[in-house]
Amino acid sequence: MSEKQMLYQKRLERYITAMDCGKPDMVPVAFGVGEWIAKYTGTTLQEIYYDLDKSNSIVSEMLPGLDFDIFKGGPSLWWPPMFDAMGSKLYKFPGIGVEENSTFQFNEQEYMKPEDYDEFIASPTEWLVNHYLPNISTELENPGSYRSTVALIKGAAAFAMQGGIMAQAYGKWTMDHGIVGQGTGFTKAPFDTLGDALRGMKGVLLDLRRRPEKVLAACEAITPHNVNCGLAGAGADTRFPCFAPLHRGAYPFLNPNQWNNFYWPSLKATIEGLWARGKRMLFYAEGDWTPYLDKIAELPDKSIIFQIDTTDAKKAKEILGGRFCLQGGVPTTLLTYGTPAKIKEHIKRTIDELACDGGFILDAGGVVMGDAKQENVIAMIEAAREYGVY
Amino acid sequence: MADKEKLLNPDPGVCVPWEVKLEEIGEFPGNEAIVKKEWEKLDDFAYNFIWFWAQR
Repeated sequence: MSEKQMLYQKRLERYITAMDCGKPDMVPVAFGVGEWIAKYTGTTLQEIYYDLDKSNSIVSEMLPGLDFDIFKGGPSLWWPPMFDAMGSKLYKFPGIGVEENSTFQFNEQEYMKPEDYDEFIASPTEWLVNHYLPNISTELENPGSYRSTVALIKGAAAFAMQGGIMAQAYGKWTMDHGIVGQGTGFTKAPFDTLGDALRGMKGVLLDLRRRPEKVLAACEAITPHNVNCGLAGAGADTRFPCFAPLHRGAYPFLNPNQWNNFYWPSLKATIEGLWARGKRMLFYAEGDWTPYLDKIAELPDKSIIFQIDTTDAKKAKEILGGRFCLQGGVPTTLLTYGTPAKIKEHIKRTIDELACDGGFILDAGGVVMGDAKQENVIAMIEAAREYGVY
Repeated sequence: MADKEKLLNPDPGVCVPWEVKLEEIGEFPGNEAIVKKEWEKLDDFAYNFIWFWAQR
């Protein structure tokens, strides 16, 4: 076994031990290269988003010398050429729709209309193909046309190409640097699937008043698909969690009654469905979830990794600690507005409070913004190693 | 045109169930399992592509 393979095994063991609420040799550290890297490399965000080779080479140049365990990914969340091929209306990307150094923007619309609920509920996958894809894609406006058929061919080809390129890149980073990927599979809360891309925020909030039974039926119809989505990718490797960015469940988007009745039941069913098949969820609780910690504690032990963004960390530790691995602890605002000295001080305190008996992964609380400072991000990793030895 | 087709209501991970395709093929002189396995792999890929757009 090579030195890097041994390093990989050591980091993997550290990660798995923490996920199982145990105490490894040291606190595992998660790290991702965010959009903030652009200003340090002389490249535009447009280049980083569009050119996967360039984006991956920036990651390859950064990895040597950084001692962390779990890799969360490169600087771009999406590969715009695939969206361009479909004429996607969903996003505006750097250089096309927004300025070349602006981050992407989600173009929220009611891509699904209130009158579409019944057909969607009857057969979600077919409704997505027959109605949703044409609704979100200018190239698919005339299904069956030359432009539409070509766009589908290009879109699917791009999906496969991106998957292949990224799999190759992760393989290389693992071999060359011994890093462990955070997870496999991507899913969401069913209410978010409905409320983000299909009905939009305004649409789904109106639906809670005007057609609540349709919202519940749609969430129920989405749930088995979201279980399946969480299992997809990299051979459904159940050693690693699936990633689930959670949106409308953050306090106070919904009132407690709405959260209990509309958001939580189908998310809980999704998590339980995944866990029944051995798959854990990285419960990426963006924003504040403090009021819901008691409900989250009803989940099967170890079935999630709870991401602490602006949730009260001490309460999360008190209510979820010991039964669920916690991840996070470093506010993203601190990485932008703090200094290396303040970061170190914060990390020492975080490790003392949250990591003392294991079951903790140190990480930025949420997605690290483009205005974060590189010296702060590096200080986070260094401080984690300095204070994180058990 | 698509609206007039009978709904398949495919399961998660499926776009066109193998059983539907098999019925259309009819007589099967070769090894069905080989064809089915590859059909389902590509079907799963298509399913993930479709749901990718809804999980944004």
